[in-house]
Amino acid sequence: MKIAVCIKQVPSTNEVRLDPVTNTIVRDGRQSVINPFDTYALEQAVQIKEQLGGQVLVVSMGIPATERLLRDACSRGADRGALLSDRAFAGADTLATSYALSLWCRREQPDLILCGKMAVDGDTAQIGPELAEHLGIPHITDVCAVLSVDEKEITVRKVTADGFAVVRTPLPALLTVVKDINLPRMATIPGVRAGQAAVIELLTADDLQADRSRTGLTGSPTQVVRTFTPQRTAQAVELTGEPAEIAHQILDIVREVL
Amino acid sequence: MHSDLIKPFAAEYAEYLKDESRSVGACQYVAFPRSHDEALEVLRTAYDQDLPVTIQGGRTGLAAGAVPSGGLIVNTSRMDQVLGMSVRDGLYHLRLQPGVILSRLRKDIESRRLDTAGWDAGSLQALEAFKKDKAQFFTPDPTETSALLGGMTACNASGARSYKYGPVRGHIHALRVILPTGHPLTLERGRVRAKGRRMELVCDDGFALCLDLPTFRMPDTKNASGYYIHDDMDAVDLFIGSDGTLGLITELEIILRPMPGAVWGVTCFFASEDQAVDFVTAARPALGADAAAFEYFDPHALDILRSQRANNPAFAALPVIDPAYGCAVYTELHCTDEQAAFDRLMAVGDLMEAAGGCQDHTWVARTDTDRDKLQFFRHAVPESVNMLIDQRRRIDPVITKLGSDMSVPDACLRQVTQMYRQDLAEAGLEYATWGHIGNNHLHVNILPRSADDYSRGKALFARWAEAVTRMGGAVSAEHGVGKLKAPFLTIMYGQKHIDEMRALKLAVDPKGLYGIGNLFSLKGGAAQ
Amino acid sequence: MSAYIQNDLTKCVGCGLCQGSCASGAIALRDGKAVIDPDRCVLCRVCLDTCPVGALTLESDAQAERTADSRGIWVFAEMDNDGQPLPVGLELTAKAFALARKRESCPVTVLLFGPSATRQAQRFIHAGADRVIVSDAPVFREGLELPFADAVCACIRQDRPEAVLFGATPFGRSLAPRVAARLGCGLTADCTVLDIDPETGLLLQTRPAFGGNLMATITCPARRPQMATVRPGIFQTPESPLRETGEIEQLREIPAPGPVELLEKTLVEAGESIRDARVIVSAGRGIGAQKNMALVKKLAELLGASYGVSRPLVDMGWADYSHQIGQTGCSVAPDLLLCFGISGAIQHLAGIGGAKTIIAVNTDPDAPIFGAATYKIVGDAAAVLKALIEHLQQQ
Repeated sequence: MKIAVCIKQVPSTNEVRLDPVTNTIVRDGRQSVINPFDTYALEQAVQIKEQLGGQVLVVSMGIPATERLLRDACSRGADRGALLSDRAFAGADTLATSYALSLWCRREQPDLILCGKMAVDGDTAQIGPELAEHLGIPHITDVCAVLSVDEKEITVRKVTADGFAVVRTPLPALLTVVKDINLPRMATIPGVRAGQAAVIELLTADDLQADRSRTGLTGSPTQVVRTFTPQRTAQAVELTGEPAEIAHQILDIVREVL
Repeated sequence: MHSDLIKPFAAEYAEYLKDESRSVGACQYVAFPRSHDEALEVLRTAYDQDLPVTIQGGRTGLAAGAVPSGGLIVNTSRMDQVLGMSVRDGLYHLRLQPGVILSRLRKDIESRRLDTAGWDAGSLQALEAFKKDKAQFFTPDPTETSALLGGMTACNASGARSYKYGPVRGHIHALRVILPTGHPLTLERGRVRAKGRRMELVCDDGFALCLDLPTFRMPDTKNASGYYIHDDMDAVDLFIGSDGTLGLITELEIILRPMPGAVWGVTCFFASEDQAVDFVTAARPALGADAAAFEYFDPHALDILRSQRANNPAFAALPVIDPAYGCAVYTELHCTDEQAAFDRLMAVGDLMEAAGGCQDHTWVARTDTDRDKLQFFRHAVPESVNMLIDQRRRIDPVITKLGSDMSVPDACLRQVTQMYRQDLAEAGLEYATWGHIGNNHLHVNILPRSADDYSRGKALFARWAEAVTRMGGAVSAEHGVGKLKAPFLTIMYGQKHIDEMRALKLAVDPKGLYGIGNLFSLKGGAAQ
Repeated sequence: MSAYIQNDLTKCVGCGLCQGSCASGAIALRDGKAVIDPDRCVLCRVCLDTCPVGALTLESDAQAERTADSRGIWVFAEMDNDGQPLPVGLELTAKAFALARKRESCPVTVLLFGPSATRQAQRFIHAGADRVIVSDAPVFREGLELPFADAVCACIRQDRPEAVLFGATPFGRSLAPRVAARLGCGLTADCTVLDIDPETGLLLQTRPAFGGNLMATITCPARRPQMATVRPGIFQTPESPLRETGEIEQLREIPAPGPVELLEKTLVEAGESIRDARVIVSAGRGIGAQKNMALVKKLAELLGASYGVSRPLVDMGWADYSHQIGQTGCSVAPDLLLCFGISGAIQHLAGIGGAKTIIAVNTDPDAPIFGAATYKIVGDAAAVLKALIEHLQQQ
């Protein structure tokens, strides 16, 4: 069984604030990490590999520094990695990103592709289904348990708006996983050594024979025209006093409002 | 009262009668000063009225140092301003009020966002440099991050990383203290030193004090037992770790250190405690200054975590602990860069194998997420034990937490762990042990099932205090002596030295009003 | 063919604001000017809007394609297990109606596939649709993406609408990207604000990013249809019909079932959903201890309210995920929200935007929650909780 896991590099925190003086955006937290949802996808892939044998491949599209995260994934059970890195990929929206990933998948022909439900920075949750569509394979989103899997098909439980569903699909297929699916393992010392030694293939747009009208900013139909932090204006009325006095005032407000 | 800042005790203040030691005291008045001047007014009033004073920080202490014995509680939690910043010898210093919360301080430092209201030009200039510089941190890391900086200073707190960086003491540059007599005293490290065992202090208002320092020799181990005394000592050090018996700290200047390039953690699992001890004994010299912490978890601690994980949803996120794992040692590496950390990690693997462990039985944390996981794991142990004790208290209220805090010299690590194990087995007590094995400083926590267990556990602790003293150790290595461990201090230093400490205290606090019951009893003994 | 951020050095004043905004650490100051490292820059373009002097621009040789004369706004309406349309479909139909009125000859079409779709179609006409394409075909019964994608794509290819809106439900967010990728279209996820340029028909899609800490307005200038998933509960369902008559058209070609099979479906009772609650007592880390959750629940009980929590409490296991309020949890819109010990991380604030009156208690006078609050109390959350419970119990 050949399993591919898509990984995105994201900032370690989402903290963004508005500088009150300059009215501009300031971001805290610089360390880049594997998108947390993707760590569950990786763990699931490794568990399936442990059950059926085979190999786990991790792939990311990003800046050269993303290699560090692919090595981290290899320290947690992935066998090798691929980094799609090229200026021609920069500025990609989900359509152009999923296109580039699909080129790599066509080369590798994995039986199963696992993605995190979404990335915590973009929150789009679109890469998985779009990638599946580019490859012409079925996809299942929001998978919370793998019930059975063999070389031919996989049966999973997925979270739906109103409960759960058990769904079966033939392979190859793509799954996106939610965070309750497993508890990602930590690396072991031999794992860290393996991660350091793992083969991480660096691939450019040419290596993948990409149609450059479909990659990066050029291949991205959507454009961000403005970013801003949500603002609030109204000044709050302060209530003061000992807790008992405050409680009294709060209950007056409750009565008034309801 | 002659000060509006002093309020009569009322039921709403009930929580201020206790701390994390779970002992409950009593008082007549409370005060929450906001500034040095307000504190001065409160303390002068207390002195005039002969009111006993108990100083409180975050009440996170485990030795009941902040539990009042009558009189007035002076709670510092509202003195929570960061007053300024400076650069000295290439290090950033922050001037704080004592009520600043550790967790907030860390967040402020990490985000480099500080409330600069009231800062002078020099401070603002230092802040600009700080913002552009590489990441800095305040090294002391007690488990309970809701501790206040003043309280941490008063008990000379430490934490896992004090293996490398030492306790709070080494990270305090200056203090402003109000003495029990109401005289303000400003101290800066390097300015006032004792001559031999004699120390002269001149207060800001010119009031002078001449102190004879006790004659004991402190053990050569991690130590938070009683006053810090040595020849030619710095006056700042007398007040750090004085457990609220010598005055109120109204300002402190802390020293930040540059964050190392790579902070990696690794938990290694071993089959037996002896293997863990072998590992630590070999790793200490091998890793040198790159090891920031060695933390131990004994088989009982792991069992408690296994059962919490299975039964309590709050702990469901704990990593699965393989049933084959006997005990664990967490090692934290602080290295200049990732390559160095990688090399050190491989060395840990080799050392582990040499001690009889298997390198596959490890958890390595190199990312924030994994570091948080290991942190959660470490914190889950004391938290779980507290929950267990609280359950048992409901059956018999006599039962309370029995946690030891003793350290010994490096050479005695094996001896002391064997002693704990053997004595506990003989006594048939339920327990769990964890803590700072790098400093030969383990917290043995007895989990009494009955009042009888509790009293036998207490007796065992007293015996260990004697044994640890004989090994050249300290009866309290980090929690401070407070009220609960005062009897052990006598065991450790002997009555004569206790009397000398008491005399020192009474020279600073002639009415004997501050921190009554902390360190030693004021009654009895030659000094009274 | 490439794109990069260009810094106009004649304009750059070296203020460093762009450096602070860059999540990738790609901007450094050298000789008093911002320098962008192309190996680190991911072209997220956040810096463009932070530059106070407009020195930063996006340089790109991307050509604008001429958009074919597509017309009309479409809504894909999802149905639940009982054959009822989800409210979000009606909300979007009304919104599409409002947007379409800004344009000339811009009809609203709704796609409604599912068991009793035909029977429900009239509701969408009332909500503003000119036309509803329906199908009661059994292939749509199981809510599997592929047949839906086939049907939606076939309709779009035939009629070439200028915009298609989907509800940002789990199914909508799974189906829409499949459709977008097949058609090679842009898709904006989870929009909370929608507007349209009356002339060009350009859809201005605004959505939260970075966990709601940042809002981004996104357009799709060159390709049609413009597609978006839109968060449920943002727009209103009209109270009285916007339109009385419209076309109801049967889907012509029924797609084949896909390879994915539904084996079992389990419905989970929604329980006391905080989404619809009128009064919510919510708690954050500032309540101090897990035991204080009992106070929160008690107060909620006494007030006849639901209780919610911020994300850290769910992470710590103090409360169930179903009670989580915020960007990654539930968006709430109560008449009254009492917040205890919630600092107000922006992702949390994103989830309480609909609350009418907010009373917040926090020890930190600078807590961001106070920026959103109607009433603020600087103090210990547990103490106020206890006092409130005591008062209510005495009454």
